[in-house]
Amino acid sequence: MILKSGSGLNRRGMLRAGAAAGLASLALPETGWGQSETPVKIGNIDPRTGTYAALGENQIRGATMAVAELNQKGGILGRPVQLLVEDSQGLPGPAIGKAQKLVNQDKVDFLMGSVSSAVSASLSQFAQQHNLIYVDTGGHADDITGKKCSWNTFRTCSTTWMLTAGDFGLLYKKFGKKWFFLTPDYAFGHALYADYVAQLQQAGGTAVGNALAPLGTTDFSSYLIQARAANPDVLICLQAGDDLVNLLKQAVQFGMDKQMAIAGAMQELEVLEALPPAALLGWWTFEWYWNQPGVPHVAEFISAYKTKFGKVPTARSWFGYASAHALALAANQAKTLDAQKVAKALEGLELPPEIALQPGKCYYRAEDHQMIANMFPGSVPKGATYPNLFEVAQTVPGGTIAKPPAEAGCHMVYPG
Amino acid sequence: MRRPLAAACIWIALLAVPFWLPLMGGYTDLATRALIYAIAASGLNLLLGYTGGLSFGHAAYFGLGAYGAGLCLIHVAPSLPLAILAGTVLGGIAGILIGPLVMRRKGIYFSMITIAFGQMFYFIAVRWNGLTGGEDGLTGFSRVPVQIGGHAVMLGPERFYYLVLAVFALVMAVIWQILRSPLGHGFVAVRENPTRLRFLGVAVERQIWVAFAISAFIAALAGALNALLTGFASPDNLGWQLSGSFVVICVLGGMRSVWGPFLGAAIFIVAQDYLSSITQNWMSFIGLIFILAVLFFPQGLLGFSRLKASR
Repeated sequence: MILKSGSGLNRRGMLRAGAAAGLASLALPETGWGQSETPVKIGNIDPRTGTYAALGENQIRGATMAVAELNQKGGILGRPVQLLVEDSQGLPGPAIGKAQKLVNQDKVDFLMGSVSSAVSASLSQFAQQHNLIYVDTGGHADDITGKKCSWNTFRTCSTTWMLTAGDFGLLYKKFGKKWFFLTPDYAFGHALYADYVAQLQQAGGTAVGNALAPLGTTDFSSYLIQARAANPDVLICLQAGDDLVNLLKQAVQFGMDKQMAIAGAMQELEVLEALPPAALLGWWTFEWYWNQPGVPHVAEFISAYKTKFGKVPTARSWFGYASAHALALAANQAKTLDAQKVAKALEGLELPPEIALQPGKCYYRAEDHQMIANMFPGSVPKGATYPNLFEVAQTVPGGTIAKPPAEAGCHMVYPG
Repeated sequence: MRRPLAAACIWIALLAVPFWLPLMGGYTDLATRALIYAIAASGLNLLLGYTGGLSFGHAAYFGLGAYGAGLCLIHVAPSLPLAILAGTVLGGIAGILIGPLVMRRKGIYFSMITIAFGQMFYFIAVRWNGLTGGEDGLTGFSRVPVQIGGHAVMLGPERFYYLVLAVFALVMAVIWQILRSPLGHGFVAVRENPTRLRFLGVAVERQIWVAFAISAFIAALAGALNALLTGFASPDNLGWQLSGSFVVICVLGGMRSVWGPFLGAAIFIVAQDYLSSITQNWMSFIGLIFILAVLFFPQGLLGFSRLKASR
């Protein structure tokens, strides 16, 4: 009875607090725009909870920064730009729920976001059914711009093939031809493995073993024992996120780094930042790195980002930044928000240097809508401290390693 | 006298959802999702609330319904009714086959074995890449137009909502009929006193089997509709988290009432949708709501209101 009398108050109070928070988040006016201007809305679906939360958060930061810049420079078609952020939890089901909300309730003009390829694939299909442009910010599976490509979907991050091709040449030349793989047991891991093995066999090397570890493995000791027994030149770790953190910590405890080169495909600043000093090692590929001395506009971008968020931008930040800017560029160029016309404008769209933030030409390939940018293979220096956690060995232009569109398996079909 | 009136009000409100929900800042697909979860939870509740079997693996049948519908659209024929039927039958048959393996277990062992079977289907879906698309899920199908009297009718959000509402009404009617029949009384008797039933010569296990199979059919039906709502099926549709959500929905709304799972689903889905937009820590709030509900409304929200009314 005592409990009951108090309960009504607590619940009501909580609901009231929730409602107040909701209203507060709705009422954020952009300064400098007339009241009558209806904003162009970009729906951004990224993981804010779950395994990929740190990566998702940086993609959101990048996009937020791009939208702030856009609003200072005339927005899209002279209208202010609004970024509506929703949490996908890194899972396709909730992501589609959020997409339905953004499309039906908020009536967004564009969709962007995603870290997990499963989410990218389902959002791509959803956007196609709703005649909307979708920019896949950070889901890497080859199929998105390959077999499953569609007229409305563009991808800013690279393909799994490009991730492996980025550092393959460097690793093979430097360390040798006997490779052992530790592969996370799901589509993304399998794709990376297959891509590396194809290049390894073509070059004349051998894969001496492949240990499949389920997603979310915390104890890698049995896999590491297998790897040691195979005595390879290179140990390739294809894990991502928290899995990679756990794996690298244990590999160092096992002393693996003294016996073989530890390397992998994609590496991210977010992951390296989470590692204890002893596990900071290895050869990897970055898709974008903040420290690019001599490249125009990069220094300004970094200082602006640092002021805003207190950290250096990561590859994920750049994905979000470039994706939002690309949408605005294309819409302004097409002078309309019509999805099919904006898609045409995005095809072949080249990012200007202040958005590309890297040397050479960065563009969405017209045939399969894949962004062709640079890869940054390199290594983690000894005694590295944040933010100097990586040393770029060379900048590999994406055009030299990306599969040609015909080989990627994309047959673009346009509506009507 | 008040009961039929309340029910009539609910049905009228449900029929008018596409008109009033957008005005309140919602969208029709949200209501569709809530109804689909209500169907699944109502199916589970037949087993959980009325027969007393705590299944933590009902997402398996939900997910099988989703994959069944999707695979039927991709590989068999682009027909919506056929897809719904295929999904329902696939999940339902799985329930019929698994029923005998779980019906003899009691209490915690019943829950454990239902989880185990649920996870079995989850891993099959993740592993069988060629058929199910593995971790990436099954995509490449969508709501095809329905042939009605020679016309191809496309189901937009509103029309699909009414289809789901019709299915929901049908499911509620079936459950209502079952609970009024000797079969339903048998279920409740299993929950209340299985020993006594056994002395009376009733095959208790067979009762549980029947309840399990019916609830699996209903969960699979909901899964098939969910696949058509989202346009894909993913292994998460089969996982234990979703099974847990169904149990939470039943407990939240009230397990002893036909409308309990509906109320639970409406609160769960709306709270999830709303809270996850305003805070990253929305899961803590869902947990908090659940804890408060269990602490203060152990009979569920509907059970509580009834308790109050009877005083």
